[in-house]
Amino acid sequence: MAFADGPANVQNRNFVRSPASITWAVWKAIFIREAVARLFAGRAAWVWILVEPVVHLAFLNLLFGFIIQRVVSGVEGGLFITTGVLGFLIVQNTAMRSKEAITANTALFTYRQVLPVDTVLVRAALEALLLMMSALFLVTGLGLLGSKILPHDFLLVMVALSALWLSGLGLGLMLSAATELVPEIGKVTDMLFRPLYFLSGVMFPASAIPPAYRDWFLVNPFVHGIETLRVGFFPQYHVADGVSLSYLLGFALVTVCLGLALHVRFGARLVME
Amino acid sequence: MIIVDEVYKRYQTDHGVGKWVLQGATFTIPPKLNVGLVGRNGAGKSTLLRLIGGIDKPTRGRIERRCRVSWPMGFGGGLQGVLTGRQNTKFVCRIHGHEQDLADRLANIQEFAELGDAFDEPVKTYSSGMKSRLQFALSLAFDFDVYISDEVTSTGDEAFRKKTSEAFEKLADRAGLIMVSHGEGLLRKFCTAGIWLHEGKAHWFDRLDDALKAYKQSIAV
Repeated sequence: MAFADGPANVQNRNFVRSPASITWAVWKAIFIREAVARLFAGRAAWVWILVEPVVHLAFLNLLFGFIIQRVVSGVEGGLFITTGVLGFLIVQNTAMRSKEAITANTALFTYRQVLPVDTVLVRAALEALLLMMSALFLVTGLGLLGSKILPHDFLLVMVALSALWLSGLGLGLMLSAATELVPEIGKVTDMLFRPLYFLSGVMFPASAIPPAYRDWFLVNPFVHGIETLRVGFFPQYHVADGVSLSYLLGFALVTVCLGLALHVRFGARLVME
Repeated sequence: MIIVDEVYKRYQTDHGVGKWVLQGATFTIPPKLNVGLVGRNGAGKSTLLRLIGGIDKPTRGRIERRCRVSWPMGFGGGLQGVLTGRQNTKFVCRIHGHEQDLADRLANIQEFAELGDAFDEPVKTYSSGMKSRLQFALSLAFDFDVYISDEVTSTGDEAFRKKTSEAFEKLADRAGLIMVSHGEGLLRKFCTAGIWLHEGKAHWFDRLDDALKAYKQSIAV
């Protein structure tokens, strides 16, 4: 029995941590745990996190790069597709990874300090960090190949990315709670995300959609984020009427609030195995 | 001191609301008292421990913890299978606010658990006895006023049982213990008071022997 009454224990006897400091300690601990599991899970797992989007983009560029350069004026094909894919991936990866945060961390709820919502928030933050790193890697790579990579409105790019991430987080919060309560919801959303890839303007500009259908097309909030991202990158980019960042921000606000509400309401039931 | 006041608990199952597991359990555990919890399988012993440990919330009623209570240790809970013993240990130290003296605690836990090289292997490769060792070492590393043990000692080998006995004895003068075990000897050794769970109600006995007697009578019929 080495340590049950060691000096460190005596010292901390009457020290009570505040709720905020407990939450902060939990977030840090989960962040490290998630990052370790993500980056060192298999043989050089971190390499794949960088390589996957590169391959994805190289393939798309091969297919559409030249067409885009001819059809869309004022943009460069490679960077155009890169913005589309990055904008979409930040929503999809954040939403899908944080959706599974609760199931992946069930064992940790043995400690009452750890709440389901903590695991979701931390996962979304880690996903943002990883995507930012692979985005930097990608854009720098394009720069070395001779593209003009510096966005003309850096602030707008950051705001658009944040708005996209927030809606990913909002969806993640909602879906993580919902799939624990009704598992079928998870399967349905997985199916819905697939066509969204094609409906979010990843490979074409919103202005390419005929005006008659554009109102319908613009119902999808992610289009607004991706198009705004391009406005931030290309000074000459001709953006379709009706694209509005506020719409996406509103969507993000609503989903985040709804998601948090679900976690508050059903928190106790999410802990159950 | 732990106050359990009119606690009701039932779970949501796949086909609607489940049966009541606890129906108005009421008792108060004074500081530094070792309590044995007895009752037949499915009587709600583990449920009650989860509620006291603060993992789950009662459907109705109130539980107050006026002291530091450990998490319920037992059955390999609280360990993440893909992470190594060391990584799990670091995680638990961090959430309990011991970022600064992490190295010291890590060394102590490693020494007490006696897992050898397995400490750096993923927990999913551990046997249930090894998991128990790690869990027990983990919970002893923190200064709780009450330790909750859900059969944590039942899977260990002889050496480990001896070690836990010594540890529990040392704890007895400064901390309390709430213990579930089907081993009568173990309960008699450590616990003075007893709670008998029967049909959703908790019956308090100042002497463990009385609790065991009531429990035995109920299963004899």
